[in-house]
Amino acid sequence: MTDTYNRRNTTVNGESRIQYIPQEDVRYPERLRCLPGMPKGLYVLGKLPDDSRPSVAIVGARSSSAYGDEISRFFAGALSRAGVQIISGMAWGIDGKAHEGTLENGGDTYAVLGSGVDVCYPAGHRYLYEKIPKTGGVLSEQPPGMPPKPGHFPARNRIISGLSDLVLVVEARERSGSLITADLALEQGKDVFAVPGRIGDELSRGCLNLLKQGAGLADRPETILECLGIRPETREEEANEKKILLAKDENIVYSLIRLQPVNLEELMKSTGYPVRKMMTVLTGLQLKGCIREVQKNYYVRTNSRIIDGKVFSNSGVACKGEDHKKISGK
Amino acid sequence: MFSSVMSAAVLGMEAYPVQVEADISDGMPMFCMVGDLAPEVREAADRVRTALRNIKIPFPPRRVTVNLSPAHIRKIGTRFDLPIAAALLAAMGIIPPEHTDGVLMAGEVGLNGRIRPVNGILQTVMMAKDQGCTWCLVPKENAREGAAVPEMAVTGVGTLGELLEYMINPENGKGKAERASAWEGGRKTYTVDFREINGQEGAKRAAQIAAAGMHNLLMIGSPGAGKTMVARRMPTILPGLTMQESLEITRVYSACGLLEEEGLVKNRPFRAPHHTISANALAGGGRYIQPGEVSLATRGILFLDELPEFSRRALETLRQPMEEGVIQISRTDGKYVFPAHFQLVAAMNPCKCGYYPDRSRCRCLPGEIHRYLGRVSRPMLDRMDLCTEVSRVDYQNLVWKKENEDSRSIRMKVEGAWKMQQARYQNCPWQFNSQLSPAAIAEFCPLGSGESRVMETAFEKLELSVRAYHRVIKTARTIADLEGEERIREEHLLEALGFRSADQKFWSPE
Repeated sequence: MTDTYNRRNTTVNGESRIQYIPQEDVRYPERLRCLPGMPKGLYVLGKLPDDSRPSVAIVGARSSSAYGDEISRFFAGALSRAGVQIISGMAWGIDGKAHEGTLENGGDTYAVLGSGVDVCYPAGHRYLYEKIPKTGGVLSEQPPGMPPKPGHFPARNRIISGLSDLVLVVEARERSGSLITADLALEQGKDVFAVPGRIGDELSRGCLNLLKQGAGLADRPETILECLGIRPETREEEANEKKILLAKDENIVYSLIRLQPVNLEELMKSTGYPVRKMMTVLTGLQLKGCIREVQKNYYVRTNSRIIDGKVFSNSGVACKGEDHKKISGK
Repeated sequence: MFSSVMSAAVLGMEAYPVQVEADISDGMPMFCMVGDLAPEVREAADRVRTALRNIKIPFPPRRVTVNLSPAHIRKIGTRFDLPIAAALLAAMGIIPPEHTDGVLMAGEVGLNGRIRPVNGILQTVMMAKDQGCTWCLVPKENAREGAAVPEMAVTGVGTLGELLEYMINPENGKGKAERASAWEGGRKTYTVDFREINGQEGAKRAAQIAAAGMHNLLMIGSPGAGKTMVARRMPTILPGLTMQESLEITRVYSACGLLEEEGLVKNRPFRAPHHTISANALAGGGRYIQPGEVSLATRGILFLDELPEFSRRALETLRQPMEEGVIQISRTDGKYVFPAHFQLVAAMNPCKCGYYPDRSRCRCLPGEIHRYLGRVSRPMLDRMDLCTEVSRVDYQNLVWKKENEDSRSIRMKVEGAWKMQQARYQNCPWQFNSQLSPAAIAEFCPLGSGESRVMETAFEKLELSVRAYHRVIKTARTIADLEGEERIREEHLLEALGFRSADQKFWSPE
């Protein structure tokens, strides 16, 4: 199997960077050793998760919404800052965003692939594939060169859940692959948490079902940290964060923008602003870093600080209508 | 006896002088035609002979030779029937040969002697003027088109009988010359109007800015959201045609035989080729080369619906005309230059299924979305100054009887912006803000300190490319012009940023 498509060169100075860790090896993850049905050995690019540190798997839909993407990135970032290792599958959507959020916050993250570790799948995630092994690792039970096959993925999921102490499902449709991971986690005796979504959204079904069945409700990263027995650090960064002053009209528009993308037309209907004013305000908010354009003229709030809605609460600040022209808080 | 009549061949969009010579001499009765003739020109012999017999002019049983010179130009079309008939009548001694001097003719002859309209009359009459002709005889239906050329007598001929009458008594014929109506500002009424669109404020505003600076516009939206509806109304807010522009458009349409009415074109063109169009049909081509869609859209709108579905080769042909306003086509028989000053309006879906980012309906993977968007090449995107989302209209908006701004009042604003640009770019080779080069941007779009700060922040926060940076300033210039302001202010920049073309981030997965 030499010329599998998309196979990456993993040799350095003629030596392979891929290590094979058999079950007999002391480096073989302790978490897997005690579970039945685990692979005889793992191929690793980079390193294996630390047995002594807590680890959380973040999984979810591949065709995720902008909301799911933000949440995944946010939870991964917050958990990794608290010293948690993030395990996921490097798939499109939630998985990829979890890796991204971890890397952005300087944490270590581990990707379990359904192909050989030298095959980057999906190809569009090459930037993750290249970054992850620098601090964490890319692992697989498949031999190098193995292309991704449909049957590999459910099997891969058992390793994801096996390697983690807790599984967090961010967004999942009914009968989603992520739910397989959650089931496997329960069989393996791990905690399962789910992020609630809006009822009625297809992407919320899986998570809401999990919650109905008794999964933990992941309303904020602290909840998960508590479950892992980590005392959440006091949020110092909040104090360090610069308060951003918003003009009155900016505040009105900002209050209408949530984590679900909302478009120009809807915002104009809610506020009654003419298009020129609305455009000006929206761009102003973007320049201040409060909102983000996910698709042309669709906007969402930017991540992290929003969850409690504290940072931007603008009470007591007198704003003139002209203020939105001042670009502050760079 | 020998006689000769002036006519013209049309190749591409240009007319070339052709002398139609006829000679009737003793010998075996025959009708012989020479001079690099296409089959339809050769068939003129049968048409003319029969038509003459049908108006009771006996065809002489002698050796008839007709030559179309110069012989190296390919003669195509049916426009030579009329000059052939006239040359024969002169050779037969029915028309005084001196009366054919300085007269140009073109037209198709029916078997009953009726004269039928032909293509390319406008450029034919223009050429006649350059060649020093004083009188043109053209089919009646084409007379108004030809009469648009000043200082030229153009008479419409309905039948061969009329031809005889006019040629025997030229003063009579010249007296019946078509009078060119004065140019009363080209604009007919359009059948569509912006007033009919409820909601879609973002798209309407983007259309207005695009028209004001002739910026190219990209609309992204789900199927049935109204992208085509907006595009169709774009010509209605462009200022009326000048005589010069109308002549340019009419020449193209006349060469292609697409004139829908007699006389000059009054409306700005709107062309919406299907996405299966070939590169040649877009640029111009064919066995006998004809202008393509880019030229048919000149001084108007070229609308490409489903932009990613167009073949890459077809889209690449748009690059030269978008830069230079003309398209050059090189063929074995020569080089052709056609006008192509169009404004590009393109529409596309946000993803393959068309519903992203509505995740209840769209299940496209991020990779699939990027692949779909990636079908539109970077250089193409770099030429779209404005981009807007067109969202589905909800029911309330659909039935709402609201007073929307009509095309006329939008057009008046656009006209104001055009005037400002005309005044500013008097001594420049360009006319519109969209055509500014980076050097010209520095000269004509100076930014104050506050404005520079906005652009600096935007450059970092929104990760603008250098090209995007320039596009935003050009658009802001147009927005300022729409408001009649000489200075670009912060709010102009902010609005321009809001309509900036789709970012790198939508287009590549990182």
